[in-house]
Amino acid sequence: MGLYIVRKVCLTVPLLMVISFLTFILNNLSPMDPAEVVLQAQGVPVITDELIAQTRAELGMDQPFLIRYFQWLMACLQLDFGDSYITGEPVWSLLGPAFLNTLKLTLVSIIVIIGLSIALGVICALKEGGLLDKSVRGVSFFLTAMPSYLLAGLMTWYFSVKLDLLPTSGMDSYRSYLLPVTVIAVSYVGIYFRIVRSSMLSNLNEDYVLYGRACGLPEKTITLHILRNSLQVAISVFGMAIPVLLGSTVVVESVFAWPGLGTLSVKSILSRDFPMIQAYVLILAVAFVLFNTFSDMMNAALNPKLRKDL
Amino acid sequence: MTGRMVVWMIVLLGSVGLLASCGGDQAGNTGAADQDQELVYATAKDTNDMNPHFYAGSMPAQGMVYESLVENTEDGIKPLLAESWEISEDGKVYTFHLRQDVQFHDGEPFNAEAVKKNIEAVQSNASTHSWIKLSTKIVSCNVIDAYTIELVLSEPYYPTLLELSMTRPYVFLSPKDFVNGETKDGVNGYNGTGPFKLAEQKVDQYAIFEANETYWGGAPSLKKITAKVLPAGETTYLALQKGEVNFLFTDDRGTDSLDVEAMNKLVESGEFQLVRSKPMNTKMIVANSSKLDSPVHETAVREAIWHAVDRETISQQIYNGTETAADTLFSSNVNYANVDLMKRSYDLETAKQILDEAGWVLDNGDAIRTKNGNKLAMKLYYDTHSSSQKTQAEFLQHAWKSIGMEVTLIGEESTSIANRRSTGEYDLLFNQTWGLAYDPQSTVAAFSSTSSYYHTTSGIEKADELYKKIEQVMVSQDEETRKSLYADIINIVHEEAVFIPITNGSVTVIASADLQGISFKQTQFELPFERMQFE
Repeated sequence: MGLYIVRKVCLTVPLLMVISFLTFILNNLSPMDPAEVVLQAQGVPVITDELIAQTRAELGMDQPFLIRYFQWLMACLQLDFGDSYITGEPVWSLLGPAFLNTLKLTLVSIIVIIGLSIALGVICALKEGGLLDKSVRGVSFFLTAMPSYLLAGLMTWYFSVKLDLLPTSGMDSYRSYLLPVTVIAVSYVGIYFRIVRSSMLSNLNEDYVLYGRACGLPEKTITLHILRNSLQVAISVFGMAIPVLLGSTVVVESVFAWPGLGTLSVKSILSRDFPMIQAYVLILAVAFVLFNTFSDMMNAALNPKLRKDL
Repeated sequence: MTGRMVVWMIVLLGSVGLLASCGGDQAGNTGAADQDQELVYATAKDTNDMNPHFYAGSMPAQGMVYESLVENTEDGIKPLLAESWEISEDGKVYTFHLRQDVQFHDGEPFNAEAVKKNIEAVQSNASTHSWIKLSTKIVSCNVIDAYTIELVLSEPYYPTLLELSMTRPYVFLSPKDFVNGETKDGVNGYNGTGPFKLAEQKVDQYAIFEANETYWGGAPSLKKITAKVLPAGETTYLALQKGEVNFLFTDDRGTDSLDVEAMNKLVESGEFQLVRSKPMNTKMIVANSSKLDSPVHETAVREAIWHAVDRETISQQIYNGTETAADTLFSSNVNYANVDLMKRSYDLETAKQILDEAGWVLDNGDAIRTKNGNKLAMKLYYDTHSSSQKTQAEFLQHAWKSIGMEVTLIGEESTSIANRRSTGEYDLLFNQTWGLAYDPQSTVAAFSSTSSYYHTTSGIEKADELYKKIEQVMVSQDEETRKSLYADIINIVHEEAVFIPITNGSVTVIASADLQGISFKQTQFELPFERMQFE
């Protein structure tokens, strides 16, 4: 197992290098002069040639491309992503809090998603074909198909304006979590509970279940065994759900004015704040690679057969 | 297995509780809008860096915290932090007598020394401020006595007081907040002299301003103003309905957070009032007269475009009557702009006739006019984030097609449109004048600036004469000469039809029905919150 982990980690290093290079190159392909972007982003009303030349020198844009890349990469390794073009503050001081805010929202959502998916998946599998199974699948189909901004608007109007129970937006207290988490959960639970359900169903017909029943094991114990085996599939999906959520909360964040990564990234993209965009893309890519590796490891821990593949 | 699952469940539930409680300490901010004398406004843009010697911060927020020496009012320049002033005969020395009862928010006295430090801090970063011509004219700032300051210019410059009255950069920050005697590399705090002081700022969430109880002009009635960052549209609308937000106004880019229909609904509910300022600026289409490979460099083509803009329909249908049709670049309430100009009304037949006379003809069966084998085709650039610009562009495209003109619409980011304006890579683009406090002098100065309207104006026949007159008007000492120079300048650009006016924009406020004293300043970028109070 130790060797497996070392190999897996070694494989991610070149991948991360490629990602970082692509991130850097993409931003450098932009047709606009970064110096001009900086000045426009700072709201300077009139930009002169002299000012552009001065800003280029300040940004170190006169250096060759590869040298700039390695300087940037070395700095990134120390969490120094440069300074924002707009505010001039270090990127990390802006991205850090936004990342934490999104992480809070993501973690609370993922806990709700996992809990609900497993509970609904198990219940629907055990009651397969019954009224409960059918209605849960029907309702979830309807809710998953609904765009999250529409659901968010409707829920905010009903719970915040009409019933006056919850805040419409912001991140003021634990009550602020209820609406965004529900909206996020609704769009994911509908997909994930089906994975748990179908995995449970395929396990239900396995020999060990028949054997367990024949031995007279209590139904509760058998269900737990099925669940444990079924979760192997779900774990890789859930593992990847965290980075997926981290990168896709933008709609919910924007509707609920949640000061997270999504809002920040859109703002940075619109104002062409390249250091912010680079850091954002890099962090998300690293999150994807890490969580992917992590779920591979989890699966390898649960299923020794997988360890031989590498 | 069961035991382990129970432990996991407890851990999971615990973490939910822990995470959710992380933000618990700010619970007091929610739904507080209905408290006495607390105004909460929604803003799509964060208040950002409040350093008044830079341009990244929100102007309405900076306007609450900082003040200038003089104020631009409807009746001209009035005293603010300077009680009175004298201008030397040669127009090069301005002597200001400062108010003696003013303190910065941190308790530091506001005096001649503080003024000198601030002006010098701005001047030391002159290249950033070169758009404001005063920054290129200031030679020195001298302390005469504790409350008298002298500003020496290299040559007479008539908009000196106007430019000193602007929201930035010539406003005053406590010298204690300076870093190494400068403000260009960041500041330690945001202490101004204004009626409100910045109490708390949370990036992308909110900024709280508290009343300055020792304000020299008397403590404001509103005790707390919160600028809440909310995305425009539905979220802001719901927050207003719930009462989490009780104030909304046109932002410093001229964009409203709500569409006209939503505003009307709020007003119909009886809980909100809508107040609109007089016209503040002119929204227009800028035509590139220097682009020789485009038909737009011909005056006749630009005139035809002008005649083919149905301003009344745009005003009534697209803006629902919230903006009025504009027939000239500057509306007549702008200083020096009350000039008699030939009106070019909406008339497709005249437009066609002008094109015919200029040699742009429709061959049998063609939909697009041609001249010497060249098609009458152009590109119009609009800001993708402005829904009204896109609608107008589509509307105009249709109208122009009927006179035999093909216009391709291209939506781009505002930064990229600004870039096109400075490089001259455009035929037509949407733009707006800078607003009452800046018009006509700043917009006119921009006619000859390479990063602004140089490409718009440099292709016209009288370009040299225009630039010469702009130079002259800025240093003119005599009111009559100035009037006549401005009249000439406005006449030249009007005749050449390079700035094609569409509508006059104003500042719109949506506020709780019980808010009194809503008024406007000369600038579209600030609001006088200190005059407002809840009943």
